Amino acid sequence: MKLEGRAKMLRIHFGEDDQWQGQPLYRAIVEKCRALDLAGATVFRGIEGYGASTLIRRPHHLSFSHDAPVMVSVIDAEEKIQKLIPCLDEMVAEGLIAISDVEVIKYVHQDGARS
Amino acid sequence: MLQAGPAKKVSIYVGEDHQYHGQSLYAAILDFLFYRGIAGVTVVRGIAGFGADHHLHTTRIERLTENLPVKIEFIESPEKTAEVLPKLHEMAGTGLIEVQDTLIVKPSEVSAKHAPQVSALPLKREGKAKLMRIFIGENDKWHDKPLYKALVEALRANDLAGATVYQGILGYGANRRIHREGALHLSHDRPVMLSVVESEEKLRAFFPVLDQMVQQGLVVLSDVDVIKYTHDSREGERRKEARP
Repeated sequence: MKLEGRAKMLRIHFGEDDQWQGQPLYRAIVEKCRALDLAGATVFRGIEGYGASTLIRRPHHLSFSHDAPVMVSVIDAEEKIQKLIPCLDEMVAEGLIAISDVEVIKYVHQDGARS
Repeated sequence: MLQAGPAKKVSIYVGEDHQYHGQSLYAAILDFLFYRGIAGVTVVRGIAGFGADHHLHTTRIERLTENLPVKIEFIESPEKTAEVLPKLHEMAGTGLIEVQDTLIVKPSEVSAKHAPQVSALPLKREGKAKLMRIFIGENDKWHDKPLYKALVEALRANDLAGATVYQGILGYGANRRIHREGALHLSHDRPVMLSVVESEEKLRAFFPVLDQMVQQGLVVLSDVDVIKYTHDSREGERRKEARP
């Protein structure tokens, strides 16, 4: 896969507890990105935040309940990103999706270097 | 690349136990010189010696074994030497720095391709700038140390304004392999992102170093407006006070 020059970065913000068809939404989004053959996707967990619902999301200490804010960042050519948007429309019931311009400096991998 | 002809030989004498920002001083100086593209550096540990404080440090008496003398030595062009000396002055603390004129009869040669040298450009920290994001794996290594750590050191040695490392919880990249946290958080193959805000020139000057260090991953640039970039020198003291 090649990726160079002008590209788009899509970021999706939502909660770690959000679900899609019985699995965590962030996992479902990463799988969708892979199914659409996007160049890559990374999920980050925030430590605190609030969003459209103005409900403060904060991971609870000493418990297994989370609902921390989560962000998925996806970088690819604009056409590929546009293909992902209709799927996200359906999957993300509550959250924020933003697109920005990026310039790709390097996108490399070593074939078979990692098992 | 060193040429035959006049050059400077710099020797820095410090104690083995001296610290610099929480790591051993001689290692910090070695890292600094390495990332600044100095042609070559040798660190020699003495077996006995004394310095300005006239404490004798020797291996012969067990209780005085600590803080043995360490000498860091390198040979470089006068220009390059002048470029790194101010920082070395700051780092060396109570140590001694000596510079002498020397003559290179035969420069050493590299077997493979060597890292291109990076020139320092003036910092511009307000207004238009670029945000660089580097996506790598937490497991990626560079010379046996975690790549993200080596990158932060390299960025610092090249005087870039700042860097932050973020740890992801799930992701995949160029190699199509899913990176995720394992059960009980014991897996360490999570995605990692570094973000650096700097002027475009300084970032581009860093690309050759980056190119050599990042063997797999993604590097992107985007436009940002810097609103504030300040540093409070009293912060360290305040933090100390806040501690119980």
